[in-house]
Order: sequence, then C-alpha cells, then structure tokens
Amino acid sequence: MSDASHSRQLLGSLVAAVLIVVVAIALVTLKFGASSAAERESLEERQEQRLEAEEERREAAEERREER
Amino acid sequence: MEDVVETLTRGNVAEVKVLLASVALALGCYQLAVIAVGYGKLRVSFLAPPPAFAAHRAVGDTIALLLLCTGVMCVSVYGFEDDELVHAIAGSALLCVLAIKVSVVRRDFGLGRFLPALGLSVFALLCVTWASSAGGFLA
Repeated sequence: MSDASHSRQLLGSLVAAVLIVVVAIALVTLKFGASSAAERESLEERQEQRLEAEEERREAAEERREER
Repeated sequence: MEDVVETLTRGNVAEVKVLLASVALALGCYQLAVIAVGYGKLRVSFLAPPPAFAAHRAVGDTIALLLLCTGVMCVSVYGFEDDELVHAIAGSALLCVLAIKVSVVRRDFGLGRFLPALGLSVFALLCVTWASSAGGFLA
C-alpha cells in the first residue's frame, strides 16, 4: 500500500472518530438541556425567594387583618 | 483540586463527567470496529489493517486522556463513596487495566498476545463504569 493511500485512510478514520465525538456531545447536551446546573440552581433559588417573599406578604396581611 | 475542577466546569462537574465518559464510550465502540479491521476479523474495502492500527492507537491515546481527566474529576470531587461501590471499583479497575495495556503497547514485556484480551477488558470495564454512573444521569 502506498504512503498516500495509508495517510488518506488514516485521516479518514480520524475524521470518523471526530464525527463520533461531535454526535456524542450533541446527544448528551440535548439530553441535559442547554442551561448549566449553576444557572438552574440560581433560577430555583430565585423562585424560592419569590415564594418566600409572597408568603411573608400574605402573613403580614393576615396579621394586619387580625389586629383590626 | 476540588475548587479547580468546580471552576473549570463552572459548577457542572457531574454533567462534564457524564459528557467525557459518554464520548469515551462512543469512541470505545468505534475502537472495537477499527481494531477488528486491524486484526483482519472485519474486512472493508476503504480501510486496510496498517492504517486501522494507527487510527486505533491515536484514538486510544485520546480515550486514555479522557478517562484520566474523568477519573481525576470523579475522585477529587466525589471521592470513594460507599453507595457508589460498583462505580468506584469498576472505575479504578478500568484505569489500572488501561495503564497495563498502555505499558504493553509501548514496551511489550512479551505480553503482546494479551493485547486483545486487555482491550476487551478495558471496553467491558468502561461499559460498567459508564452504566453505573453516567447511564443513570442520561436515563
């Protein structure tokens, strides 16, 4: 086998490996979703804070009603 | 080390670990096909055994690097947890067998005939390690 043919086949095999890597990354990323764990955590934290604030407001309103 | 890993992955240690392990597993499957061509078990018109061996070696080096990075991330952040015993044992065995295989490839030590068995062991251990952790994440 000539050197050129050897190099071409080797290059083709490596390109196939790169394509496999790209597909694997795409599939795993698709499964996880685009947002990172840190982003999800901060979103959950903001939602919790919003719920807590809402609850506090409701409790304060109830207290005011009871005082009256 | 844990801080370095957390910073590098921007807090997504598990996700990055799963990604690296999944890429390694996908390349591992490709390695099986390529080495089958190398040993003449599988004959295809577009790939001869010598370039198949060369590709197997190059991709194998990449997989070894991926597995080493994944192992370092895993041990530095999670350590050896009792409830992940299968994963810890399979992962440790995987790196040990991989180290032996790399040594035999580079120095031979008269153990060249065991390379197919070592390669299959590495692939089997990679499957078990992936399934006991990354598989759960992706299920």
